[in-house]
Amino acid sequence: MIVAAAICPSPPLLASGMTGQAEILPDLRIACAAAVARLLAAAPDVVAVVGPAEATAPFDPAGELSLASYAPALRAARPSSGNSMEWEAGSSAAAPALPLALGIGAMLLDEAGYQGPRAYEGVAEYEPAAACLALGAGIAASAPRVALLAMGDGTARRSASAPGYLDERAAPFDEAVERAVRTADLPALTALDPALAADLLAAGRPAWQSLAGALSVPVNHLTGAAGRLQTEVLYSDAPLGVAYLVATLIPQ
Amino acid sequence: MDDVAAAVEQRAQLQRAPGLLRLGGHEFAPGRPLVMAIVNRTPDSFYRPGLTWDEAAALERVHAAVAEGADILDIGGVPAKPGPEVTVAEEIRRVVPFIERVRAAYPDLVISADTWRHESATAMCAAGADLINDTWSAWDPSLAEVAAEFGAGLVCSHVGTLTPRTRPHRPAFADVVADVIDRVLLLAERAAKAGVDPDRIVIDPAHDFGKNTWHSLEITRRLSELTATGWPVLMSVSHKDFVGETLGADLGDRLAGTLAVTAVGAWLGARIFRAHDVKETRQALDMVASIKGDRPPARAVRALA
Repeated sequence: MIVAAAICPSPPLLASGMTGQAEILPDLRIACAAAVARLLAAAPDVVAVVGPAEATAPFDPAGELSLASYAPALRAARPSSGNSMEWEAGSSAAAPALPLALGIGAMLLDEAGYQGPRAYEGVAEYEPAAACLALGAGIAASAPRVALLAMGDGTARRSASAPGYLDERAAPFDEAVERAVRTADLPALTALDPALAADLLAAGRPAWQSLAGALSVPVNHLTGAAGRLQTEVLYSDAPLGVAYLVATLIPQ
Repeated sequence: MDDVAAAVEQRAQLQRAPGLLRLGGHEFAPGRPLVMAIVNRTPDSFYRPGLTWDEAAALERVHAAVAEGADILDIGGVPAKPGPEVTVAEEIRRVVPFIERVRAAYPDLVISADTWRHESATAMCAAGADLINDTWSAWDPSLAEVAAEFGAGLVCSHVGTLTPRTRPHRPAFADVVADVIDRVLLLAERAAKAGVDPDRIVIDPAHDFGKNTWHSLEITRRLSELTATGWPVLMSVSHKDFVGETLGADLGDRLAGTLAVTAVGAWLGARIFRAHDVKETRQALDMVASIKGDRPPARAVRALA
């Protein structure tokens, strides 16, 4: 069952060193780190990371973000210091590459110092809600204490300079997602329209719906009722035209 | 054949591993190219003559150069080109009080003394210069002793058979790059033997000095042969005649050509770039450093959101 869940976005710019000498969106980084810290504070048996991928499939628990796919000069994971691109050799240079969303999740766990078991679940961008719910339920049932990190970005059409240009439907869509998360309205997440989400380049839709599936599993074995969720939105903004949502959902 | 083998052997001995370059109290790693800003205390240098003849103007120029990213100031009181005699006393009068003022304003800035005479170099080092930029290839051989005495650095350059402040007339080389390497390595070795810290010795092929335009293009094209010696290479090409002749560009129209040579030199591993245009040179060097992978972009966000 799920002991804690969190939502984080997965822009490549979250990766260490990716933005060059400038520190971009430090408040977003802080929010993501805080969300992951809460997951780990729940003392999980395993941290499951779910995120959009080309196909629905589990990925190698030893996988890592492929930094080189985005910044070929960044050959390994950590900058050594200062105004230099001399990087310290990564601990596992030959680790299999994860899709971006899962890779950023892996990086966040690394940065939090998490050493325990991990599971990476890719969920296809086109996966219908029912399949996402089922995937989430499976994740919840995978261990007695599962922490779930759902890597989900909002729309990418929030402004004229956004990657997908401005779409007037984008802001209301993101607001609806945020409201659903804040109020623990899992049916509202489940009801998100995959076609509209795809139109608005909201890559997080299958991850959010997987999270809804994981948290909908009854936690009270006597009554069969879904438990109450304590939710907190740590970040919700679209400073670069892509909606970033950071939140935690902790079953009580 | 024995002579050739001996020469090859000797050249190999004069090579060194690329490493730290020490100037003043600073240590510079190989991946960080340096801008040496030109401050002429002369009324008649070739480019923008008299621009910093006035002391207040010269100090303004220093402030601007530092703000634009200069790592080194190269201060000189005698133009390279032929002209009215500048005595040692006059050279010292032009530059020494100025070096003292700059040193007082910038205690940590690397100051280079652009001179070829040991009397002037002594006074300039006593005033605070950290490096002697001897563009005239040890015409005065005791410059190395001055550098050693003050713990200063020394630029070892190549000018063929020229004497200071003369123009080349029909210089010819069997192989100009080999001639340059032989000369600057000989001087570097001599300087080290005289007691100059090897980490403070710089070599300079000296574009245009004792060379025609073809020669300067050749040493640019084959600069990697100089950088391969391991000694830090200084490029002094700003607005020079070989740029003008190559492009058919007048004196006021050589910035693009200067920056192109700068970029090629940086790509091939030169470490110090003597420049009139500090901001533009710094940008060109930063761009090349990032292409090489030595410097992260200032800000990379495009398509990463």
